[in-house]
Amino acid sequence: MAKVKVATVWLEGCAGCHMSFLDIDEAIIELAKVVEFSRSPITDIKEFVPVDVGIVEGSVGNTEEEEVLKELRAHCKILMAWGDCACFGGVCAMRSSFDKEDALRRGYIETESTHKGKIPRPPGVPALLDQVKPANHIVKVDCYVPGCPPEPKAILYALNELLAGRIPVLPSDMMRFD
Amino acid sequence: MKEITLTINGNQVKGKEGDTVLDICQANGIDLPTLCHYKGLNDVGACRLCVVEIERERRPVPACTYPARDGLVIHTHNEKLEKYRRLVLELLFTERNHLCAQCVASGDCELQNLAYKYQMDNARYPYSWPALPVDSVNDYLVIDHNRCILCGRCIRTCDEIVGVHTLDFGYRGWKDMVVADLNQPLGQSSCISCGACFQVCPTGAIFSKNSAYKGRPEECKKVNSVCPVCGVGCQIEALVKDNRLVRIDSPDLTDKRGILCHKGRFAPLYRKHERIDTALVKNGRGKLESRPLSEAIDIVAKRLAELKSRYGNNSIAGIASSQASNESLKAFKEFITGTIGSKLIDTLDGDIYRATAQGINIYQEKAGLDTETLLEEILKADCILVVGANPLESHPVAGSYIARAARQNKAKLIVIDPAQNAFSYHTALWLKPKEGKESLALSTLTKAVIDKGAKKDSAQVKKITASLKDINVKQGSEQAGIGADDLLEAAEMLSKAKYSVIIYGEGILQHKNPGLITSLLNLATIASSQGAGKPRIISLKPKGNSRGAWDMGIAHTSQSIMKNLTGNNVKALYILLSDDYVNASQLPNLGKGLEFVVVQSSYLSSAMSKANVVLPSPIWAEVGEKYSTLDGVAKSTSRLIKPSDDIKADPEILREISKHMKK
Repeated sequence: MAKVKVATVWLEGCAGCHMSFLDIDEAIIELAKVVEFSRSPITDIKEFVPVDVGIVEGSVGNTEEEEVLKELRAHCKILMAWGDCACFGGVCAMRSSFDKEDALRRGYIETESTHKGKIPRPPGVPALLDQVKPANHIVKVDCYVPGCPPEPKAILYALNELLAGRIPVLPSDMMRFD
Repeated sequence: MKEITLTINGNQVKGKEGDTVLDICQANGIDLPTLCHYKGLNDVGACRLCVVEIERERRPVPACTYPARDGLVIHTHNEKLEKYRRLVLELLFTERNHLCAQCVASGDCELQNLAYKYQMDNARYPYSWPALPVDSVNDYLVIDHNRCILCGRCIRTCDEIVGVHTLDFGYRGWKDMVVADLNQPLGQSSCISCGACFQVCPTGAIFSKNSAYKGRPEECKKVNSVCPVCGVGCQIEALVKDNRLVRIDSPDLTDKRGILCHKGRFAPLYRKHERIDTALVKNGRGKLESRPLSEAIDIVAKRLAELKSRYGNNSIAGIASSQASNESLKAFKEFITGTIGSKLIDTLDGDIYRATAQGINIYQEKAGLDTETLLEEILKADCILVVGANPLESHPVAGSYIARAARQNKAKLIVIDPAQNAFSYHTALWLKPKEGKESLALSTLTKAVIDKGAKKDSAQVKKITASLKDINVKQGSEQAGIGADDLLEAAEMLSKAKYSVIIYGEGILQHKNPGLITSLLNLATIASSQGAGKPRIISLKPKGNSRGAWDMGIAHTSQSIMKNLTGNNVKALYILLSDDYVNASQLPNLGKGLEFVVVQSSYLSSAMSKANVVLPSPIWAEVGEKYSTLDGVAKSTSRLIKPSDDIKADPEILREISKHMKK
């Protein structure tokens, strides 16, 4: 049987969800027998190829992240969101109640340790969106594994459900928002 | 109450008239999700999670506000209702900031628990991200409006249970938010920092500064105890982790003595004064230095035995703080009057006790605090007289009872106090007699109530009437500095009352004047002669265990030893402070003849400067002991945390010294 093709992206987040995935310990050996990773921070492959499952960690806070997420959606059959950032906005969304220019000024100029700071605006740096959004506010998302980060066992549960041909919904006792 | 029968989910269930649909569901084990509902509060139907379908109703209705009727057919769980409930949760999560990873309440949040239960793994609606303020001006509490779901529990608790009604909704519709008074910062409002709002908040919108991130409830040990701080004797449930107090709650806010105030709920989480954790002995250069406890006990025993044999038993005096527990006080009494055999024993509030006892003695043949009533009587009152007391500050839970009676029973609240009083807006009438004229004001008021027509059949009333026959109401009120109209209005309120209660405190007690106490008892007798029962009067005593110390007879009724201390007869003084923070200015003047002073205390203070030996005391949370409430109920505390190794319970140290002295 051909391996299930998976691509993962790491948007506005801390990589904790990917770390939590690697924390599934020895289960990763069995998984590697049936799953093949293409683009992912784990493989360091940058190109998108068509895959069965796309996985997104992180929220969407700038134009590049929006583009990457749309591209992932276009290349995958099923899209899964990992972690509170991708599911709800998470820690990154703390800036959403402020004006983005105020947030930049606070970060680059007004921080207590900053001397003569200035907001970097070189060409090519993606622009911030007005608000940080969860993945399903940009593209259609098929399933979710919330948690900050999700428990390894929740990630494994969701992957196994997908491998069994079912769309996973975490049972209440695996649900976590922190 | 009439019994009614309803059909819920196809089953016949019974309830009684007056129940809500939610009451009946809960009584029958039907689990409906709720957020704005809280036991003991009036329901308002704010959160819409308990929606149920009732046949013949056009749309789902909240079970918490729907009165149950005979014959209703109700469906509580079906696909449509569960869909609605999840929708409500998603709307709540997207309205403000409910990102749990940044919240103090995560892991102890009712909103979060419901989202888990409903497997809410995403939110479909756009977030509104209002930029709402965070109010951290209060000493103990923070209100983060971004976490608020506007359930109104805090508002209803503040009003219905605490009676203060600081919190309410401000603004309208989209801009609706919880505000204190007219949108003041909480720390500058009429808030009494009782923390009940924090206890009932289902999310992290109201949290305690010194509980945040110290441990989740499931990581903590729960210990039930009683707060001995002010003498009201409120029930507490302490959360303890790693021998540290994480949080103190009320086990049941609606229960008897279940409200709590900042002194019981928050103050124990802070370390305000430096603790004494080893014995201290004055060295050759006159400085206190840390010594092993056994050595210090030895020195105390030796010196006391020496002075006792040289100058006699009554050369040694003992003074205790009435904050000490019954066990400590009993051991202290045994030590001073037994081991040492001295008659010179007193409490720091002994003079207040003597004045009270003498005042009662003038009023009736035998002196005794059984003339006083229970605090709960306040809740039944239709007229409350607060004299020389500021209960919302000194005994806040008693203050809550008064505020509740005034708000909920429309009890008339009359304050007689020349000083400022926190009851400003609950008060129907505020009489401000001139300093020193309180007794005259009370007697004149009593006379005015008699003139309104008191029942003069009892001997006591006749006696009081006769004693006041020379008082002219108009002249008396003028001399006392109160307008005659105000005084007559107060008399009118008291004479019309069916159930009046009089509360007095510090402002009266500080005068140490027996006459004032008699005047108050007279007034209570006259005021209650109209309505039902015996006179109802309560004194808010100075210390947490004043009643225990007084009942135990630590303070003699006849003589004050405070005055004797300055004479040359007293050579040694043993001061037991326990966990009362007392500084030098609060101690009586110590005579020059004193050769040896022992202070047993939990906290370091200027009082130690007079000591030759300082012995450590545990604080109340470190021992399980008995205290008497100000209205005379004995209550037991539990040990919440362990003291450090060198700290022994007061009775243990006293018995140890005793043993050494007898050797």
